[in-house]
Amino acid sequence: MQSILAVDDSPSMRKMVSFTLTGAGYHVVEAVDGQDALEKAETHNIDLVLADQNMPRLDGIGLTRKLREHPKFKTIPILILTTESSDQMKQAGRTAGATGWLVKPFDPNRLIEVIQKVIR
Amino acid sequence: MAETYQEGSGAGADFDLSQFYQIFFEEAGENLDQMEQMLLNLDLSSANDEELNGIFRCAHSIKGGSATFGFSDVAELTHQMESLLDRLRRHELQPIPQMVDVLLESADASRSLLARHQAGGQGEAVSTTSLVRRISDLAAGLVPDDAAPVAAPPPPPVAVAPAPAPKASAPAVPGQARQLEIQIGPLDRPEQADAIKELFRDIPGLGAIRDVPGSQANTRVFAVETTSTNDDLLDLFAFHVAKEQVLIRDAAASGEAATAEADDEPMVAVDTSGGEAPYGFFNGAPGAPHGEAAAAAHAPLAQAPKAAPKASAEPKVAMQAQMESTTIRVDVKKVDQLINLVGELVITQAMLAQNSRGLDAGAYQQLLAGLADLDRNTRDLQESVMSIRMIPMSIVFSRFPRMLRDLANKLGKKVELVTLGEATELDKGLVEKITDPLTHLVRNSCDHGIEMPADRLAKGKSEHGTITLSASHQGGSIVIEVRDDGRGLSREKILSKAQERGIEVSDQMSDADVWQLIFAPGFSTADEVTDVSGRGVGMDVVKRNIAALNGSVEIDSAEGYGMKVSVRLPLTLAIMDGMSVGVGEEVYILPLSSVVESFQVNADDVSTVAQGSQLVKVRDEYMPVIALEKIFQVPRFDLNKSSNIMVVVEADGSRVALLVDELLGQHQVVVKNLESNYRKVPNVSGATILGDGTVALILDTGGLVRRARH
Repeated sequence: MQSILAVDDSPSMRKMVSFTLTGAGYHVVEAVDGQDALEKAETHNIDLVLADQNMPRLDGIGLTRKLREHPKFKTIPILILTTESSDQMKQAGRTAGATGWLVKPFDPNRLIEVIQKVIR
Repeated sequence: MAETYQEGSGAGADFDLSQFYQIFFEEAGENLDQMEQMLLNLDLSSANDEELNGIFRCAHSIKGGSATFGFSDVAELTHQMESLLDRLRRHELQPIPQMVDVLLESADASRSLLARHQAGGQGEAVSTTSLVRRISDLAAGLVPDDAAPVAAPPPPPVAVAPAPAPKASAPAVPGQARQLEIQIGPLDRPEQADAIKELFRDIPGLGAIRDVPGSQANTRVFAVETTSTNDDLLDLFAFHVAKEQVLIRDAAASGEAATAEADDEPMVAVDTSGGEAPYGFFNGAPGAPHGEAAAAAHAPLAQAPKAAPKASAEPKVAMQAQMESTTIRVDVKKVDQLINLVGELVITQAMLAQNSRGLDAGAYQQLLAGLADLDRNTRDLQESVMSIRMIPMSIVFSRFPRMLRDLANKLGKKVELVTLGEATELDKGLVEKITDPLTHLVRNSCDHGIEMPADRLAKGKSEHGTITLSASHQGGSIVIEVRDDGRGLSREKILSKAQERGIEVSDQMSDADVWQLIFAPGFSTADEVTDVSGRGVGMDVVKRNIAALNGSVEIDSAEGYGMKVSVRLPLTLAIMDGMSVGVGEEVYILPLSSVVESFQVNADDVSTVAQGSQLVKVRDEYMPVIALEKIFQVPRFDLNKSSNIMVVVEADGSRVALLVDELLGQHQVVVKNLESNYRKVPNVSGATILGDGTVALILDTGGLVRRARH
């Protein structure tokens, strides 16, 4: 079973993402912010990171940048969940090394669809 | 910046999002509370990024959640709040009080909207149209009325030699995204220009930059989209290149905007116009699927069905929430019933204890051991049950920051609220009843106590007045204090006002007695009636309400320095620690909290003064003696009156000695209201059932002390 690290500071979003992905047959590891995600990524076998952009302590782009510094996470897909779809955000995400982005609010079915495009 | 929020995709048809509603409602409530708290604590003159980001994040979280779960009205409002907060945290706008006002109001409105959704659409509809307009006006830099300009002041100049920089043709409008063409050169080293690109990457919110093919070898041209002013950009660039090497042009004006679009290296691999693509991948990024990026971005967004909140889903939601929570909600009636039953148990236990007193300890060893256990367990059970009803004072105090802020704004005063001892617990019934009197006291302090900022400065005080609310346990009671550093009470004013009202006064009255005058019905020292207080219904109502809770109010004041109102309340109304005393055949209960000491007196220490009233000398201090047998007209055993046992009780800051026949013991008594079962009896605050089944009256020590004064 493939593992997804779901990072969001909002419990309801985390619950929903987790529920959606578990239902689609993935194993989900939850993290409450970027810092927490870094620690969880170290200790779990993660196949994909799905991170909210706006979070306390360490945001999604900051998390991406940190993960990419680590050889273990050089190639792992990282998707940024965001409510802003501005070019600025995308540029920052791209520079940090993100794989792609997904705009909130999203349809749970679309989330699965996007994830299936990246990991199989 | 005032764009309307586009309702995005909700849940898929086969997805029941309602199971997450309850979690979201709780989370949104917490976020709103947190946002309100942070807004109230925000120091407009020195708001730091941490605070502004924190407030932004609250609005952002609520918006994200409400959009996901289909509460579009909340999403729309919080989206507007977020836009304004975003500009604040980017320092594109200077925070002003109007913004805090409108954000607080919007938080309230969001709360109402959410409550409505939570109730399945029941309840009053809330219109947010005007709020949305006000926020977007403020976000656009429009300031209502006479407020100060909102545009952020230019940052402090960077320490470089002031060089005449070429200005752009278009005026720099702060806050509005502009398309610029920036030419850097001629450069000795091309990587200087790369450093400029990195600036845009490293500074969030600065904008987007991309290469535009230039005509000269040692000159680089960039297309930039930014909200920053040209001066700001120049200041930033000055770290890497000389100002003379920078030329900023308005892209549209230079006519090169069109060619810039046909760029050979797009920023992202997809069409991002309007930012409406639901998702996308970056070309060549780790893990990105090949040839997917463009297709995904152009996929139609329309097919996402909306998730309408379903009222039918509510019970399931409630069940889930309960599973997650470590607390349960119980009807207060059930708790009260429990307390009543424990009260009866305490009486039964006391009866058993009393009846077993004469038993032979050897013959009934086991029974007596069991009774001792029963005594301990009953006490523990009673304590546990009582603690269910105890809630922290923070529940009461939490309403004041907002109230005081609104009030101070209305009055044009500057007031800070300090709260102490919020964790102090008080019976729920008392908490509900103390809220109104406390509100009145806080309003009074703000309206009459705290001076206008200019007056305060003139008196050498700080511009901000301080109102301190504190709660603490003192013996068997809780003491709540409302203290302010305002003008204090004026002795002369109170005395002359009292005379006007026909109240008997004299110049020899002690300060404490003068302050008590403001509790007289219809007494108000405010020179004019304001919207806030000073209508004449005031302190007398406060005093009456508190007295009804077996509490007392004391005032301390120093003119020019402020005043302090102390409210003393029993911890609970249902059970109290009492001392039983015998007078003749009768047993009376004295609240233990008011008992100071008891002693035997020598006849020499008692002296009779005018009208037969007696004084007793205790440690060189005289206090009035009250013979209970006279007040209640009960015959004493001791006809030759040789009893000399006295109990000193204290109330309202004064002490009296009660002459009794015997001291019977100390125990907890269950308080039964005499008034509701019989009628109000002077000097008696209630009744209780003793261990032997007889009824004993609980004495009103406050009443006895007042009686001795007159």
